[in-house]
Amino acid sequence: MIKISNLEKIYRTEDVETVALNKVSFDVKEGEFVAIMGPSGCGKSTLLNILGLLDDPDGGSFVFAGQEVAHYNERKRAGLRKQHIGFVFQSFNLIDELTVYENVELPLLYLKVGADERKKRVEEVLEKMQIMHRKNHFPQQLSGGQQQRVAVARAVVNRPRLILADEPTGNLDSINGNEVMQMLTELNDAGTTVIMVTHSEHDARYSHRIVRMLDGQVVLENVMI
Amino acid sequence: MLKNYFKTAWRNLLNNKLFSFINIMGLALGMTCSLLIMLWVKDELAMDKFHANDSRLYRVMENQFFSGAISTFPSTPGIFAENVVKDIPEIQMASQFLWEEEPLFTVNDTFDKEKGRYVQKDFLKMFSFKLTKGDVATALARPDAVVLSKKLADKYFKGQDPMGKMIRIDNRENVIVTGVLDEIPKSSSLKFDFLMSFDLWAKQNTWAKDWGNNGPRCYVMLAPNTSLEKVNAKLKGYIKSKNKGSNVEVFLQNYGESYLYSNWEDGKPNGGRIEYVRIFSVVAIVILLIACINFMNLATARSLKRSREIGVRKVVGASKRQLIGQFIGESLLVSFMAMGAALLIVLFILPSFNALTDKQLALNFGDASFWSTIILLTLLTGIISGSYPALFMSSLKPIVVLKGALKINPSAAFFRKALVVFQFSLSIILILGMIVVYRQIDFIHNKNLGFAREDLLFIPLEGELAKNFPTFKQELLKQPGIKNVTSASSSPLEVGSSTQGVTWPGKDTTKLILFSSNPISYDYINTMGIQLVNGRDFSNGYGTDTLNYLVNEAAARKIGYKDPVGKELTMWGDKGTIIGVMKDFHHNSLHVPIEPLILRLVKKDWGYGSFVIIRSEAGKTKQALASMEKMVKQFNPGFPFRYNFTDQEISKTYKTEFTVNKLSRYFAFLAIFISCLGLFGLVTFTAEQRTKEIGVRKVLGASVPGILAMLSKDFLRLVLIAIVIASPLAWWAMHKWLQDFAYRIDIGWSVFVIADFAAIAIAMLTVSFQAVKAARANPVKSLRTE
Repeated sequence: MIKISNLEKIYRTEDVETVALNKVSFDVKEGEFVAIMGPSGCGKSTLLNILGLLDDPDGGSFVFAGQEVAHYNERKRAGLRKQHIGFVFQSFNLIDELTVYENVELPLLYLKVGADERKKRVEEVLEKMQIMHRKNHFPQQLSGGQQQRVAVARAVVNRPRLILADEPTGNLDSINGNEVMQMLTELNDAGTTVIMVTHSEHDARYSHRIVRMLDGQVVLENVMI
Repeated sequence: MLKNYFKTAWRNLLNNKLFSFINIMGLALGMTCSLLIMLWVKDELAMDKFHANDSRLYRVMENQFFSGAISTFPSTPGIFAENVVKDIPEIQMASQFLWEEEPLFTVNDTFDKEKGRYVQKDFLKMFSFKLTKGDVATALARPDAVVLSKKLADKYFKGQDPMGKMIRIDNRENVIVTGVLDEIPKSSSLKFDFLMSFDLWAKQNTWAKDWGNNGPRCYVMLAPNTSLEKVNAKLKGYIKSKNKGSNVEVFLQNYGESYLYSNWEDGKPNGGRIEYVRIFSVVAIVILLIACINFMNLATARSLKRSREIGVRKVVGASKRQLIGQFIGESLLVSFMAMGAALLIVLFILPSFNALTDKQLALNFGDASFWSTIILLTLLTGIISGSYPALFMSSLKPIVVLKGALKINPSAAFFRKALVVFQFSLSIILILGMIVVYRQIDFIHNKNLGFAREDLLFIPLEGELAKNFPTFKQELLKQPGIKNVTSASSSPLEVGSSTQGVTWPGKDTTKLILFSSNPISYDYINTMGIQLVNGRDFSNGYGTDTLNYLVNEAAARKIGYKDPVGKELTMWGDKGTIIGVMKDFHHNSLHVPIEPLILRLVKKDWGYGSFVIIRSEAGKTKQALASMEKMVKQFNPGFPFRYNFTDQEISKTYKTEFTVNKLSRYFAFLAIFISCLGLFGLVTFTAEQRTKEIGVRKVLGASVPGILAMLSKDFLRLVLIAIVIASPLAWWAMHKWLQDFAYRIDIGWSVFVIADFAAIAIAMLTVSFQAVKAARANPVKSLRTE
């Protein structure tokens, strides 16, 4: 599903040039659950952003679902993103002015899904994430665990082929953290590809494969048994 | 999707009540200002345009050539109209039109002085003043016709049909009511309560029948499809053809334009009210622009708080275009709310604005064009003010904003700073303008006019009073509170008549020199409080004083005598002697320089002039008025008692300037207020941006005043740049405005000091409000949030 080869990303300021990704190559198959690990600053978030079409690489190739997307413009990337990719962030990133229901509904609005279908899908996913009873609440009225469940609901409501999770349990206690990991696993079991950046060995164990990075390069790939 | 945008926008407004209030109010105030000015400008532009024959109606203007200069007046010989319509076939109709007169109307026991005009028979056929009774074609045909306003018809003939009824005018003539006027439209600059036959007036004023004398206005209507140039070419030498040796030329000015274009210089149109229309239109745009900029700055300041939302929307698939649409939509929402507030404010303050501008402006809610203007203005404001924030926010990078590491790029910061400089430049120009206008008005108000304007009253010399003036004067002087009494042909406000009929030995006869002249009676110099620099006043003790003259310094200079007292002077063929020189005093408005003036005693067969001028004893105005009323009623029982205070009347002649003075104060205040809202936004934004820096500095030992100085320095620099830009522009604009006054203040450096200091102080106050908050914040907190 994803094939990257010799991917490069360099950040430049006036005097300093930082190589964030240095000829990174690896593949992710449809239905896989991959964890990316490594110390702070090793380039794992940069990689995730490029995989999520939020950022573009400076070099190399990135094939997503059979298309070379490395040099897609903003509009094309936005199109692919809303169709195929769901995001889960460490800091939830819910919109404060929208209710739980409206936050989850947002991706469907950008996909121009009809009202009836939208209602059906939002309610379905809220039920699944066991957050239906809070659908009219605003994010600041929820606990961290509940917020992250809403964020996951929002990530999956458009039935993406790929979920990208950037330290999804980073702001949660262990019980809530485990619940979120359980959800991701269930989604993966249902066929969604999951790529997760994490610091936690415990969370990484939910994945099929761990990609370890250091100084912008992939240094090791472990397959979980 | 729209619902989602609306919800987000609405909840954002609700969640940030202070910011929303500042934002909406800023725009609302700007819009209020623009709406008021728009109403005013629209009204000014529509003035006198309602006449069906608008494009064919013209005012006759006269260029008079004296001492190498051209003076332009709307005055003509009183026989101009009846002749020109016969002589020039392209002129279809013409009517003389007299200045406002106030004759005495008497019907049985009811009598009063009424204001109106003397016109000729075709006047109502040329202009679209409607009649409710009578026929416009015939109403003014007979020489004893009078057409009344509804008000006068009700006053003199309550409950009766006024048509055919008789009115006695000035206890001298009888006239017959031949028509009743409908309400005169608000957009007419001509206002009158009656129209009477010009011939009736001319009968008493035979001088007007002379081709060499000018006075009454004249309006003409051209035949359809007539070339103005052709008619003007024919008119150029017309007066000379009637009066050899005349130095005047006439031409036509479109009547609809004459209201706005009334100033002339060297025979060419040189502005008039149109200048205020232009100035205020610019002010309206400027203030709205300031409000829009203020909105832009506040919105971008808010963008930090909205950045996460923008990031999320982008992540879930929003395109840049959709985000631009969303934010423009939001600013349109704010713009519509602001317009709602502005309409309410306008509704509330319109009565005061009308009083200030002497208009009857109204919001015309039933008019489709009104609503389309409102909607257009709102859309324009929303789009202008929303455009920059929308572009700025929609181009934020999601990965950057979601990581909370938003840093503003230097070019965006530069743009925002430029906006603040622009805003402040405009505000400083308005402040400077306000101060200059204020000082000039103050100057006019307090300028030594060369005579004592306080405690000086004047009343019309009419009826029995005109016949028995010497007795009246004697009796009045015996009454309490009265100090001096005199009479004159002109009021103390304006010496209207002038002549070239002045000669003296050695005069260069090739030069035409115009002298103002004012026939007066004894005690004029004392009553007016005019200083004599040489010679003596007219006196009863000298039997020959009726052939003597007093001249002012300007006249003495024109005549060229070194020591004029005792020298010969001839006026209108009366050879006499100059007996004294008056120190120059302002016998006309300060808009014009002091003209050469000759005073002489009224001759017996002239009457005693048109005005009684009375000086009351200081602080005894009430007593003096009571005395005057008693005496006038005794001498002139058929006339109502009317009086004028000279100082008040002088103030009235500067009404436009007083209005401008007040308006400029309001507008300058508004501009600076709205600018400060914008500055407040920018400081908030910067303080938020520099939270971490401030925290680190404090940890390292920076003091609160030190941080305050650091934050204020940047803004001070912006205001200083604005001062540098604004000062020369303001100087240029105000210098130009002052050129309209023959006597004016110098725009000294102190004006700049005051304005600049005010701008700096106001800006610093605004900045420090937010800067203190940032400087005093607990560094532990600000560093933790990073």
